[in-house]
Amino acid sequence: MSEPLEFFIDPMRCIGCQACVSACRECGTHRGTSVIHLEVIDRMRTIQTTPMVCMHCVDPTCAEVCPADAIKQTPEGVVLSSLKPRCIGCENCVIACPFGVPKYDALPDQMMKCDQCYDRTSIGLRPWCATVCPSRALYFGPRSQVEAQRRGKPLNRFRFGNEVVETKVNIIVPEGVDEFVFDVAAHISEGMPHSVADLALAASAEDH
Amino acid sequence: MLLRFNRAALFWSVLVTGALVAAIVVGSRRLQYFDAALVPYTFASIFTLFGLTYHYATWLQRPPTRRYWQRTWEQIRQGNVPLRLGLVLRRLVTHILAQSFIWHRSRLRWWMHFTLFWGCVLAALVTFPLVFGWIHFATVPGHPYVYQIHLFGFPAGTFAPHSLLGWVVIHMLDFAAVLVLVGVGLSFWRRTRDPDALAVQNFYNDLLPLLILFAVSVTGLMLTFSSLWLRGYYYSFLAQIHAITVIGGLLYLPFGKFFHIVQRPAQLGVALYKKVGAEGESARCACCQAAFTSQMHLDDLKQVLAELDFHYEMPPGSAIDHYQNVCPRCRRVTMALTQARISGREFL
Amino acid sequence: MADLPAPENQIIERFGPHAAYVPVGGWGAASDPDRRVPSHCCFCGQQCGMILLVKDNVIVGLEPWEEFPFNHGMLCPKGVNRYLQSGHPDRLRAPLVRAPNGFQETTWDDALDRVARAVRQIQAEHGRDAFAMLSGASLITEKAYLAGKFARLALKTRNIDYNGRLCMVSAAAASKKAFGIDRSANPWSDILLAECILIAGSNTAECSPITTDYVWRARDSGAHVIVVDPRLTPIARTADVYLPVRPGRDAALLNGMLHVLIQEDLLDHTFIRERTTGFEQVKEAVSHYPPAVAAEIAGVHAEDLVRAARLWGEAKTSFALHARGIEHHIQGVENCAAVINLVLATGRIGRPGCGYGTITGQGNGQGGREHGQKCDQLPGMRDIEDPAAREYIARVWGVHPDEIPHQGLTAVEIFEAIDRSEIRGLLSISFNPLVSLPDAGFIRNCLRKLDFYCAIDFFLSETARHADVVLAGSTQEEEEGIVTSVEGRVIHIRQAVEPPGQARQDTRILCDLAERLGAGDKFRFRSTREILDELRVASRGGLADYYGITYEKIDRQMGVFWPCPELDHPGTPRLFEDGRFYTGDGRAHFIPVTWHPPAEDTDEEYPIVLTSGRVVAHYLSGNQTRRIGPLLDQTPNPYVEIHPQLAAQLGVADGEPVRITSRRGSIVLPASVVTTIRPDTVFIPYHWGGRQSVNILTIRALDPVSKIPEYKICAVKLEKAAAGAVPAAEIASLSPRHHV
Repeated sequence: MSEPLEFFIDPMRCIGCQACVSACRECGTHRGTSVIHLEVIDRMRTIQTTPMVCMHCVDPTCAEVCPADAIKQTPEGVVLSSLKPRCIGCENCVIACPFGVPKYDALPDQMMKCDQCYDRTSIGLRPWCATVCPSRALYFGPRSQVEAQRRGKPLNRFRFGNEVVETKVNIIVPEGVDEFVFDVAAHISEGMPHSVADLALAASAEDH
Repeated sequence: MLLRFNRAALFWSVLVTGALVAAIVVGSRRLQYFDAALVPYTFASIFTLFGLTYHYATWLQRPPTRRYWQRTWEQIRQGNVPLRLGLVLRRLVTHILAQSFIWHRSRLRWWMHFTLFWGCVLAALVTFPLVFGWIHFATVPGHPYVYQIHLFGFPAGTFAPHSLLGWVVIHMLDFAAVLVLVGVGLSFWRRTRDPDALAVQNFYNDLLPLLILFAVSVTGLMLTFSSLWLRGYYYSFLAQIHAITVIGGLLYLPFGKFFHIVQRPAQLGVALYKKVGAEGESARCACCQAAFTSQMHLDDLKQVLAELDFHYEMPPGSAIDHYQNVCPRCRRVTMALTQARISGREFL
Repeated sequence: MADLPAPENQIIERFGPHAAYVPVGGWGAASDPDRRVPSHCCFCGQQCGMILLVKDNVIVGLEPWEEFPFNHGMLCPKGVNRYLQSGHPDRLRAPLVRAPNGFQETTWDDALDRVARAVRQIQAEHGRDAFAMLSGASLITEKAYLAGKFARLALKTRNIDYNGRLCMVSAAAASKKAFGIDRSANPWSDILLAECILIAGSNTAECSPITTDYVWRARDSGAHVIVVDPRLTPIARTADVYLPVRPGRDAALLNGMLHVLIQEDLLDHTFIRERTTGFEQVKEAVSHYPPAVAAEIAGVHAEDLVRAARLWGEAKTSFALHARGIEHHIQGVENCAAVINLVLATGRIGRPGCGYGTITGQGNGQGGREHGQKCDQLPGMRDIEDPAAREYIARVWGVHPDEIPHQGLTAVEIFEAIDRSEIRGLLSISFNPLVSLPDAGFIRNCLRKLDFYCAIDFFLSETARHADVVLAGSTQEEEEGIVTSVEGRVIHIRQAVEPPGQARQDTRILCDLAERLGAGDKFRFRSTREILDELRVASRGGLADYYGITYEKIDRQMGVFWPCPELDHPGTPRLFEDGRFYTGDGRAHFIPVTWHPPAEDTDEEYPIVLTSGRVVAHYLSGNQTRRIGPLLDQTPNPYVEIHPQLAAQLGVADGEPVRITSRRGSIVLPASVVTTIRPDTVFIPYHWGGRQSVNILTIRALDPVSKIPEYKICAVKLEKAAAGAVPAAEIASLSPRHHV
């Protein structure tokens, strides 16, 4: 049997083109509506952008806090979007998801989120966003290939305060990092970072 | 065996089922108007109510559901009561009766669901009172072409069976069946084409209920067909088949997809909860200071998370005390910034 | 004559742009398509493969084409949304003629007769060359070839040029001089093997997004990346060395790098000695650019420049990429030559992992510049003034060599001739000069001076609004053909749908017109396949030799790299592998470059440099992408990028209106205050027309060799504008947002 395909996210590679945002609209399970996130981090200070897909937690907080049992996991571990007959639009999942993934839409009064293009991945195709992404910030492929080609390594263990969350989706981190700690405090104290090159530009500008 | 039952749910189930039995006895004037031929339906209904109540009660015990349940009853009694009741009633009309939110999800789904919903509601409004003996028809002595309607044993109007009204009343269940069949048809059409449905549907939850509704409606219509045009040919056999489909449907009700019928009204409570939340203090993000939900919601959610054994509290000495004080956007941004930080902002 | 036939807002309400959000037939249409057609994106020179889903003669969706080797299913947002132009409500479905109160639909016979009559009349009164033709580099190669032949044999005018004049000509001229051939020297797969990648003047992530993947994968294997750009673009954000060059100083910077290479002897002496000429002159030229001097001119840190030079010099393999950022200059050809000098000095060409290329911008930027729609060129990349070339092509065309007109004017020069009333009539196809040429006010005046203007297009562009006759033509997906991608890979465009309504295929329109102009016997083509067959012969023996290329061979090989001189020839992915170049002496030629200032440098009155460029959501003049809802939503309007220091001086906050004024005009745009641009420079994206057009400001100064306009630099002054001064978007009021 061939190696299973996995999802890898690497925000450092993101170029902010929004191909993923448009491609998400093509997903058969919610065609016409894009549910992926593409964040412009702080355009004044940096060109950095980052995509966010559902990380597909092994023990999903969203499903647990759902009062209507509307969020189900497939046998493969994909956390599906809200079941339409059940979702009552309470937004518990939107606020509770540690990755900030679910989106609430007021008119249909429903939460929608990434289901890793279940119509595609369940029959061996790759998800839309990770197929079109021109930077491989979103990538869907065999783990061995990612490990062989990239300098970092995939990690799927995240810490939020005292909570540790394991996910189906991996993020690329440097070798030696075994737990991805969401370090909110650092960002509060430092503010949004400049990129290194950003500082180089400012310095050269001062010469003039 | 009994120990594995949820005692509270069991209690409520017994209570509610008991109440139904009492209502049947009282409403049918001590079974005076109870139609013995419909006994299997009655027992199935009682069992279904038992199951529904049991499931509902266990559902309400889940921390997030319990919280909303408590909040709803609490909020409806507080503040400007008429205004709050007004909101709930308005939502009842727009969301439950007219199902406007489904309209915004998909037009096709709305037509499908609207016809199914009203078909089932119509059928239920006719069937259960008949089965429970709460309503019955009798000819008026001396007037063979006038029917007297009795509600809980009290006379409640008359109608002539050969009048238009009479025709409508007598064929109410046929109308219901046609509505349901339209909905079932639309649903099957969608479920054989829509990539979403094809990807996530399964037999037990999505197709079985449609098959049940189809079977109930078709066998019901066949009864009418038999009595109107075939002079009752095979009528009793068809009646048995119909009964089997209906009872099957009833028994499926507490466990399968139909359970969403009793879950859905929670939407009304949520609407009220959001309204009350919006009137109160907003929760502001610990990072960007933007308001992202009501403080009440955030506080409730933290408590629910704790009850669910999640631990998003930050360790002592952190700049913030709880990770959930960060807004969703800042969480997404934090992931990218954290990756940049731990990789020394180097390209990996 | 060619003023607007009706108030502009009326024209916009009728012909758009409207924003389309939903495919014809609704979102469900794509789940049950009639056909799945593997083809390519029409929205840039990379020509990404994609599978078009067709239902009822409309493209209703797409599917990634993961087997196509260039992009493996990857797409940018333009590619994902391109299907929304199919069945678009703005689509021209019948020929139009100008009437007293706007445009009026007419029959093809009437429209074509009017054009033929106007051509004959103008040429009779003012000479043949008084009628000019402008064509496009987004056209399939068959159309491009046909346009060149049509101008020479049917219009019999020397004045045909194309909008690649605004795009690729600087790089083309430099490559022709240095290598004797104008093509990216390598397939993009060589980028993966490079140890050092130099990206000069290319906002790669936005303008050629798929190339990002090649750069990133090279970095995965340890490649260093050097980016030269006045703006910190996404590709520059994580670069090893980022050189925020002051616009118009690229030649000095690149010379400075070569100075370091020579100083530190990071050269390939054998290669220089055996394979090149002219190194001594270049050595002399760059001796005037020690790092301190070069860095001073270029406005960068000298140590960064040295670091970049060393990264380049010490690498064993390398790939140099550049784009409009260094090409849109009056020194555009020399800037490209300065990059080529770096490549040649280190001998890194013609081998795996050693490459050079310009990133073509237009859909058929490469193929569109090879087969004769340039004013100075005949098919096969032949020089129109070369007697042998004229004779060969005359034989293919069945005419006497003297019947082929000689070299004509370039695109901007054609307008200058219109201004002087030397050119009185114009035929354009897929060219929107009112938005895309510099000094838009001047261009608008020229359009008014024309006696007759006919536009062939599928949407009514800003320029076509001025036309006397509009011929409803075809989109890329409506005719079979070939295009040549950024790599030099010739690929197959399959016809997915028929033109809607009365609209006709562009090739048929040109052939029908030729018939009316008395040249019908030279244009008896029944299909584009027949055009390709003639093109193959016409290109045979030329530099761009396509003789061995057929649709079937392309399908078999997933593209064929030219030159491909014989049917059994596999094509030539990497040029110069045998060490021979296509120059007369077989050697590569160093070209000495001396930096000189831009045509309009900053001064006291106009102290800020204005530069312009693309955004990822739009394509060229926006005539197509401003009609596609999701792309329009992504970037609905232009803006001006300003550094916070400059913004503070102006007292402008992010989002506030700023008036930008050059010597040619003035526009008001919202400020986008960003640290990612030099404080002495502002940037405006160029995809909009009317009062939103940056080209109201740009200067009509041309490179003396390539005649490319200097879009990338002019001097402007900025001031805070009144609230509400930002012009409204030119878009129809009733855009069908949600017709689900």
